Amino acid sequence: MKDLSFIIIDDTELDHFIARKVITNANSDFHIESFLSAAQALEYITDDTNDQGIKIILIFLDIYMPLMNGFQFVEEFEKLDPKIREKYYIVALTSSVEASDINLIKSYKSFRARVTKPVTAEGLRTLLKKVGKEYNIEIGS
Amino acid sequence: MAEKIKILYLDDEMDNLTGFKATLRLDYQVLTAVNIPGAMEHLEKHPDIRVIFCDQRMPVKTGVEFFEGIRSTHPLPMRILITAYTDIEAVIDSINRGNIFRFVKKPWIEAELVSAIEEANKFYQANSMLAIKNEELQKAYSELDKFAYSVSHDIRGPLSGILGAINVAREMYDIAEMKEMLFLMEKSLKKLDTYILSMHDYYSLQRGELQICDIDFRKMADEFKDIYKVFSNTSNISFKVNINQREPFRSDTIPLKLILNNLLSNAFKYQSKNNDAKLVELNIDVHKGVATIIVSDTGIGILGNHLGEIFNLFYRASSQESGSGFGLYNVKSALLKLNGQIEVNSVLNKGTTFKVTVPTK
Repeated sequence: MKDLSFIIIDDTELDHFIARKVITNANSDFHIESFLSAAQALEYITDDTNDQGIKIILIFLDIYMPLMNGFQFVEEFEKLDPKIREKYYIVALTSSVEASDINLIKSYKSFRARVTKPVTAEGLRTLLKKVGKEYNIEIGS
Repeated sequence: MAEKIKILYLDDEMDNLTGFKATLRLDYQVLTAVNIPGAMEHLEKHPDIRVIFCDQRMPVKTGVEFFEGIRSTHPLPMRILITAYTDIEAVIDSINRGNIFRFVKKPWIEAELVSAIEEANKFYQANSMLAIKNEELQKAYSELDKFAYSVSHDIRGPLSGILGAINVAREMYDIAEMKEMLFLMEKSLKKLDTYILSMHDYYSLQRGELQICDIDFRKMADEFKDIYKVFSNTSNISFKVNINQREPFRSDTIPLKLILNNLLSNAFKYQSKNNDAKLVELNIDVHKGVATIIVSDTGIGILGNHLGEIFNLFYRASSQESGSGFGLYNVKSALLKLNGQIEVNSVLNKGTTFKVTVPTK
C-alpha cells in the first residue's frame, strides 16, 4: 500500500496490539510503525531518511502519556517544516471523557480527527472513508 | 504564657506613645512609631503584629487614611482607632474606609485598652485559623481535580484496552496471538490493580494516627528480601542489604514499610535492560536516634530537570508503562507523617540514590 500508512504512538503495549490488529484486519498491506514514546516518534518523522514516498501517513496519537503527552507532541509537530507536516494526518486517541481534553484537542488545527479508545473496526472504517475522500485515494478493505 | 502578642501604636505625640508603652509593656510586646514611615518599618519587620492602634489626628494623614492605605498590604492585623473627638462623620468614615475593629476614646483607660486588645486578638486568631483552613481546602480541591483527571485516564485507560482486546478476540483464531494478547491484558490489569492499591495507600496516609512501636530493621529488611527474591532472580538483579542497628528505634511500621517498598520497587523496576551488572542496594544505619535509609540502583536514572517534580502527585518521569504517579508522592506523605526527610541523587543511565532520614519517636 503506497498511498497510506500508519504510525501508532501510545505508552501502553496492549493498545498498540489492538490498534495494529484492527488496522491489519482492515487491510493486511498497511504498513505500521509503533512508538511507545512521543519523543521517539518525533525524532523518527523529523528524519527524512525515513520517508518512503507514502502519500499520507496517519498518526494515531495517544493523548495521556508521561513525559511528552499528545498535546506536547502536536506543539512540537507544528514547529516542523510544512513539507514534513503535510505528509501526516494526526488522529487523537483518547479513552477519556473529559470535556476539557476534548475541547483542547479541537483547539489544535493539527488534530485532524479524534477517535475514542478502544479503536474498533467500525471506527477505523469511518476514519479511512474520511481520509480517502480528502486525499482522493482508494482504500480497499 | 506563650510569646507576648505584638501590638503597634502610631501617634504623632511622643508623650502618648510613652504612656501607652509604660501601661502595656508588661503584658504585650509594644512597638511604637511617631510617624507613618516608622509604622511601616515596624510592619515590614514584624509580619506577626496582631493589633494596630492609631491616633486619628495626625499631621500628614489621618488615622483613617493610614488604615485605609494598609488594608490591602497588611490585611491581617486588627485596626483600632484612638480619637479624642466624638465626630460622627469620622466614625462613619473610619468604618467604611478603614475597616476599623474598635474605637478607643482619648484619654484612654487601661482596662479599656486591654479588653480591646484581647477581643482583637481573638478575632485575629479566628481569622488566621480561617486562612489556614482555607489554604488546606484549596490544596484538597486541587488534589481532587488531579484525581478526577487521573481516574478518568488511569482507570479508564486499562479498561478500554481490555474492552478493545475482547472486541479484537472475536476475530482472532491464532492461539499464539491470543496468548500474546492475554499476556498484555494481564499486564494492563496488573497496572490497574497497582494503581488502586496505591490510591488506597494515599488515603490511609492522609488519615489515621501514628501507631508507634519498636522497629527491628533487620526483620523488616528480611521481609523485603523475601518479597524481592523472585524479582531479583528472574530479572537478574543482585540485591544487597546492609543493616546496622545497635540501638532501639521507635516509629510506625506502616508508613516506614511503604517508604521502603516504594523506593525498592522503583529501584528494581527502572533498571536499564542492557546492563549486565544490575544492582539494587539497601543500607540502613541507625545512629543516635536517627535512621538513615539509602536505596540505590544501577538503573536508567532521572533527567535533572525532572528531579524537582518526581515527588508531585501523578508525575511520571519515565515512559515505562508501569508507573502510576503515586509512589514517590506517597513516600513524601509518609515522611511528612514521620518527620523524615528525603534527598535524591541521580545520573541518567547510571542510577539513582535515595537517602531517607527518619528520627525515632
